[in-house]
Amino acid sequence: MAVQQQNTAAFVESFATLKRSEPTWLADRRRLAIERFSLLGIPTTHDEEYKYTSLKSISGQTWTPSAAGSVETPDVDYAGEEAARIVFVDGKFFSAAGDTLLGARLTSGLANVEGHLTRYADFESHALTALNTAFFADGALVELPEKAIVEKPIHIVWVSTGEAGIVSHPRTLILAGRNSQASVIESFVSLADGAAWTNPVTEIIAEENARIEHFQVQQQGSEAIHTGVVQGLTERSGYISTISLSFGARLARNDVRVKLNGEGAECALDGLYVVNGKQHVDHHTVIDHASPNCNSHQLYKGVLDGESRGVFNGKILVRRDAQKTDAIQNNKNLLLSPKAEIDTKPQLEIDANDVRCTHGATIGQLDAEALFYLQARGIGAAQARHLLTYAFAADLLERVKVQPLRDHFEHVLMRTLSEDPNAEETH
Amino acid sequence: MLEVKDLRVRVEDKEILKGISLSVGKGEVHAIMGPNGSGKSTLAGVLAGRDGYEITGGSATFKGEDLLDKDPEIRAREGIFLAFQYPVEIPGVSNMYFLRTALNAIRTHRGQEELDAVEFIALVKDRMKKLKMDDAMLKRAVNEGFSGGEKKRNEIFQMAVLEPQLAILDETDSGLDIDALKLVSEGVNSMRSPDRSIIVVTHYQRLLDYIVPDKVHVLAHGQIVKSGDKGLALELEKKGYGWVDDLASGLATA
Repeated sequence: MAVQQQNTAAFVESFATLKRSEPTWLADRRRLAIERFSLLGIPTTHDEEYKYTSLKSISGQTWTPSAAGSVETPDVDYAGEEAARIVFVDGKFFSAAGDTLLGARLTSGLANVEGHLTRYADFESHALTALNTAFFADGALVELPEKAIVEKPIHIVWVSTGEAGIVSHPRTLILAGRNSQASVIESFVSLADGAAWTNPVTEIIAEENARIEHFQVQQQGSEAIHTGVVQGLTERSGYISTISLSFGARLARNDVRVKLNGEGAECALDGLYVVNGKQHVDHHTVIDHASPNCNSHQLYKGVLDGESRGVFNGKILVRRDAQKTDAIQNNKNLLLSPKAEIDTKPQLEIDANDVRCTHGATIGQLDAEALFYLQARGIGAAQARHLLTYAFAADLLERVKVQPLRDHFEHVLMRTLSEDPNAEETH
Repeated sequence: MLEVKDLRVRVEDKEILKGISLSVGKGEVHAIMGPNGSGKSTLAGVLAGRDGYEITGGSATFKGEDLLDKDPEIRAREGIFLAFQYPVEIPGVSNMYFLRTALNAIRTHRGQEELDAVEFIALVKDRMKKLKMDDAMLKRAVNEGFSGGEKKRNEIFQMAVLEPQLAILDETDSGLDIDALKLVSEGVNSMRSPDRSIIVVTHYQRLLDYIVPDKVHVLAHGQIVKSGDKGLALELEKKGYGWVDDLASGLATA
């Protein structure tokens, strides 16, 4: 506890020394955020929301921002042709290409976003959001005017130098005007395998009839810590999908929250996590059905090998007025090793009486009869296991509508699974 | 082709096969008949290499080599094919990918070149036509959402593509309507050749009207209680499996 307090105090002190020239409203928000953080501190496993995910590796040390200069950015050309690309290194703006209006620097666009930025992602009770709000250096702003249809994906690349002890707080704001539509990919990559911490917050607002497909692609280094928050809000008939592809990092915690705040709104939250060794991956979702006739779908699939550990917690809130809600939640896990572990929990809080909410969770091993069937046709045991595991996971990738991205991750998946040490021939 | 001698098999604590001897020559079609629980499917499973059996005695050789120590995929590559009584659904894996992977594993093992996509398609289309199957099935996941009859036909189709030297059909006729039964039988008959042996495991004599065997064995309580020509199947149909029980108790007391 003493260590943690010290860590909290270090953040507060560091905040006091920051010199930034920015609008008063933002400075005020940041001050509120650091005040909240100083009370909350880094969560511990006594906090129900972090019961299975220890943040000791964060609270046990002091973190400093990076002094990153120029770097060589890694290859992230997997989205096909892009409408815009904006690259950040350790949270600081690095480069932009394509339509710079679509992928803009947040700090250059502050004049117009007072009513939005920091208004959705909750820093009152969420400590890591508070920390991000207090400290984010720069960020990405995707602003879609009314009726803007952007066919090619907008790609935001968050590069971590991967230096141990460095923290960055990526910040993204996606504002989709009425009847607009776009796909936004956020990629998180590392240049080295050190214990760097990435603490992103993304706010997505889909106005009436707007459609946003959002991707969080996390392939960070083997010792990296990733704690991300995505907060979505849809207005009437709006649609937000967000797909989390979580392959990297030693500790990955993803909070995905969407508020369906207008009739006929819809969201789809999906995730695929493929982990091995001592990796820990946690998805916490909250869908707030605040209006009638809204749909939500969730499918999270996990492949866990080695001594890896997974957590899934899916909360669905249905408010009293949110009649005719249709909410489906599924979490399916494949455990490839006896030492891998998953804790999965649905949480339904329903105050309306005319709703359909279904949830399901499965935890299983590869089907022995299916393995035998493949072997009985001449397919080797290792290849048969690989094929079945791949089929289990690839099913989720079918939800990725950006074809080049999907193709790319089918390859990544194929490669990741063939590195699986259990896939060696056993005879 | 296949020599089984005094094969004894336990599953958990129960002896299921109590000394089976069977000799299947090249090009022969043998039928193994028997009531439920007689050990028919165990015999088929043991020969194909299914897990969970303890072999407590006897031997089985295929083309002169010991069979029982080999992994199932090696047996398959060397020419054994088991048509499953309950074909397995494999979501996410297309029939096309599955079958091409299997065929190429077998071809590689035999020192043949792998087939490329074009050659493979030509081969499967030819086999599908013979079995009156729809091409669309190739893109579907293995057995997923197939009817019982479609699954059994898919087994025979796989056999026609993989061209085994010894095919073991485990109750392929069960649950088929007469049209499907005829199609499956035609498929099997078209594969009869002097180089290929077939073991038809069945509960019912009906199938043997369409696939006429060279030899018939009656299995009961883990033993072959009677062997004969195709006439035995007809006799069995007349007298029923009660007659078999009498034969079996005769063996036990002999």
